[in-house]
Amino acid sequence: MGSDASQRPPNDMVNFGLLNSATASTLAPRLGKLAIAGRNAILTPHYIPLTSRGTVPHIAHDVMREQTAISGLYFGLEDFIEKLQKKGCPPVYKTPAAPNESPLRNFVCLPEDPVLVLGPRRVPPLACPASNTPNSIAVLTTVGFAQLETGQYVEAVQKMRPDIAVGLADLVLTHRPGTKRQGKMVDRTHAFTTYSTEQLYGDAVSEENRSKTAYFAPILPLDNAQQTLYLEDLEDELRRYISGLALYESASLSVVPESLGDLPRLLFSEPATPHDILREVSLGADLLTIPFLGDTSDAGMALDFVFPPPSDAPATEPKPLAIDLWAPTFTTDTAPLQEACQCYTCRNHHRAYIHHLLSAKEMLAWSLLHLHNLHTMDSFFAKIRESIEQGTFESDVQRFQRTYAPQLPEKTGEGPRVRGYQAPSRGPNEPRRNPRAYGRLDIIEKFAESQSSVATPDTGAEGLEEHGFAKKLSS
Amino acid sequence: MSTSAPATSAPRKPMPSALKFDLHTKCSTTKARASTLHLPHGSVPLPIFMPVATQASLKGLTYDQLKQTGCMLCLNNTYHLGLKPGQAVLDEVGGAHKLQGWDRNILTDSGGFQMVSLLKLATVTEDGVRFLSPHDGTPMLLTPEHSISLQNSIGSDIIMQLDDVIATTSPDHARIEEAMERSVRWLDRCIDAHKYPERQNLFCIIQGGLDLELRRKCCAEMVARDTPGIAIGGLSGGEAKEEFCKVVDTCTGLLPDQKPRYVMGVGYPEDLIVGVALGADMFDCVWPTRTARFGNAVVPSGTLNLRNHTFAQDFRPVQEGCTCTICRPKDQGGLGVTRAYLHHIAAKETVGAHLLTIHNVHYLLSLMGAARQAILEDRFPAFLREFFSKLYGEKSKYPEWVVGALRGVGVDLMED
Ligand SMILES: [Zn+2]
Ligand SMILES: [Zn+2]
Repeated sequence: MGSDASQRPPNDMVNFGLLNSATASTLAPRLGKLAIAGRNAILTPHYIPLTSRGTVPHIAHDVMREQTAISGLYFGLEDFIEKLQKKGCPPVYKTPAAPNESPLRNFVCLPEDPVLVLGPRRVPPLACPASNTPNSIAVLTTVGFAQLETGQYVEAVQKMRPDIAVGLADLVLTHRPGTKRQGKMVDRTHAFTTYSTEQLYGDAVSEENRSKTAYFAPILPLDNAQQTLYLEDLEDELRRYISGLALYESASLSVVPESLGDLPRLLFSEPATPHDILREVSLGADLLTIPFLGDTSDAGMALDFVFPPPSDAPATEPKPLAIDLWAPTFTTDTAPLQEACQCYTCRNHHRAYIHHLLSAKEMLAWSLLHLHNLHTMDSFFAKIRESIEQGTFESDVQRFQRTYAPQLPEKTGEGPRVRGYQAPSRGPNEPRRNPRAYGRLDIIEKFAESQSSVATPDTGAEGLEEHGFAKKLSS
Repeated sequence: MSTSAPATSAPRKPMPSALKFDLHTKCSTTKARASTLHLPHGSVPLPIFMPVATQASLKGLTYDQLKQTGCMLCLNNTYHLGLKPGQAVLDEVGGAHKLQGWDRNILTDSGGFQMVSLLKLATVTEDGVRFLSPHDGTPMLLTPEHSISLQNSIGSDIIMQLDDVIATTSPDHARIEEAMERSVRWLDRCIDAHKYPERQNLFCIIQGGLDLELRRKCCAEMVARDTPGIAIGGLSGGEAKEEFCKVVDTCTGLLPDQKPRYVMGVGYPEDLIVGVALGADMFDCVWPTRTARFGNAVVPSGTLNLRNHTFAQDFRPVQEGCTCTICRPKDQGGLGVTRAYLHHIAAKETVGAHLLTIHNVHYLLSLMGAARQAILEDRFPAFLREFFSKLYGEKSKYPEWVVGALRGVGVDLMED
């Protein structure tokens, strides 16, 4: 099935191979290797870090190159197309690039090796007030809400030439759609996929104009029965055009038809904890996106777990999944964020410094925390793959569940003690009540706050005296 | 002479030095000098620009990124570190180097300037700076002894005396004179209070407003106290540039050759270059890093505001030929960052500030490096001509203060 030449995706730039015997069957952990010519091969299961306006938040390009192991990145098109709203041409489309180069890659100034994944929206997407239409989806750019038409998305893929494009899907973000709306979701997504793949790879497109970008077709977060026609078409007519699947909830892993089982599965399921990640891996997820990674860093927390958990861990009380560097207990703690961690932050800095940076609202706090958290996630996935390979995954997961707390710690995000007469702290690490609503406005606001260069002393006279800075005058 | 004037006398206790100053050469035309300052955490080529890592962090840069700009010496602000993390934490962690993981040199100010400029209602008495606690209004006092004790805990390689800072533009001559004399008395208190002269270098700060006579008197008093280095303070307060130049020129004329000279709070490229020509060695300013956060890149022709829409499709590096990590093309090991991309993220993503900060710090450090090389090769006047020609283009655009100041040291920019 899918092995004769006519059934292959039109470009042979992308190759996904399953490495373990679980192979194509769904609902089992699987090992794979995603190889794209000229790029890092990605061993799966793995995760794809998220970007904001083309950068991994708080991680400058040189730091990413030298201090992270990032092998792929996800970009939301809505971060690049303000100009479309003014009927202009987005600058990214005009980026100089040789025929074998990606204008997206050149625009965001990244090296050749990471795999670039383009989707229509940021992850997680912010709900838009407008609804999707039969030939467009609602998006949000820095200049406001807009409709991204199917044709415009196809044009973006053609112009930006990412390695992988995630197909348009008609998703409802605000509520669980009713039956009628679900039907529309399927019909529209089916139409989007048919149109887009036809435009990118269809027989009407000349050989040299055929897109080299791999297309990941969306599977809707609905039951199998509701999208049967669409799935059948994916298995049949559309099969030769698609190189992977994009899933929006882990339940969809059970919706994937067996004949599409050899395609890599990219999940946008917004796991909330490493436990969720393990569950999704155990159901056969290959590539994951992990918004809580950035949220954790922004909240001033350092992830603190290893997989499989240390065997000597006494199972008395569950270990916390992260430490909160805002906590005053770290004020003079010169230990690394995590014992034995080899990340840049842990090799060079200690908890007391991160605590200081947070309370001083210095941008470097987030950079250093995010470096550690990315590294922790890299190790987590490396160990997951090892565990699957050794056949101990299931028991390791169970032990992990017994060892660690079920949730990440509550975000405190508080600086020094807030006094009654002070305005309540509005620091960048203020817990977000609704992580899904995390959007550009938050980023801009957070950025503005990080810019206040003059620290106002937020301690009273006792504090100043205690700090040795000055003494109280009697009377 | 006022009765409260300090007597020119030897310092009350001998002043060991934790630095070695190698003066390599002096420009044969101007007063510019090329030297090397050997400090406890490494050698610093002078003249130098020092970026300001206010709260033990430089605008989101890792210390490896800062090292890659070539920086050997950066500033921390005593006022800020005194509040956060505070003296007890600094003592327990083992000082500011250990706190921030920076194994090169640190210079700290006294905290007094920040106190006076940030806090309303600060008043200066002979004891110290009186101010009201910003939170509960309790009257507080910052003394020379407090400032030194805090800087001892910070462990900075260069520490500054607490001085009586008033605006150079103050019309009150008696107050300016009082401030100058008090700064001398406070220097003696700082010398007395300084616990680690063998590993931290205390610099005095020449005061005296724009009154050159007062400046001369202050130089004499302070030079007699034999601190390892000397700062010229009280400038960058909005005085006319001509006045600034006169003060620097007068002071450097009276200072010993064999000590480093630091002009505090000056950081526009043209100020630095004129300051070098007038015989100053060290400069600090928050401007290049602060301006980076607003999307401004410092380049030889001035500044580029990359938020401007004209850069949206400008795929050139920030500065053609710049050797910083940001501008260097990918095939030369750089990042090949373009103006268009910086436009895309400027003032939106913190990474935009990081990238531009790297370029701006590198720009000023390499500008100082180029000036130093020119001095060593005795072609500094030619360097001056080239620098100002790139910055202003036509001669008619050269500011009068620049032309005047450089004429005073033997270089006429108007000649060809
Ligand atoms: Zn770490
Ligand atoms: Zn540069």
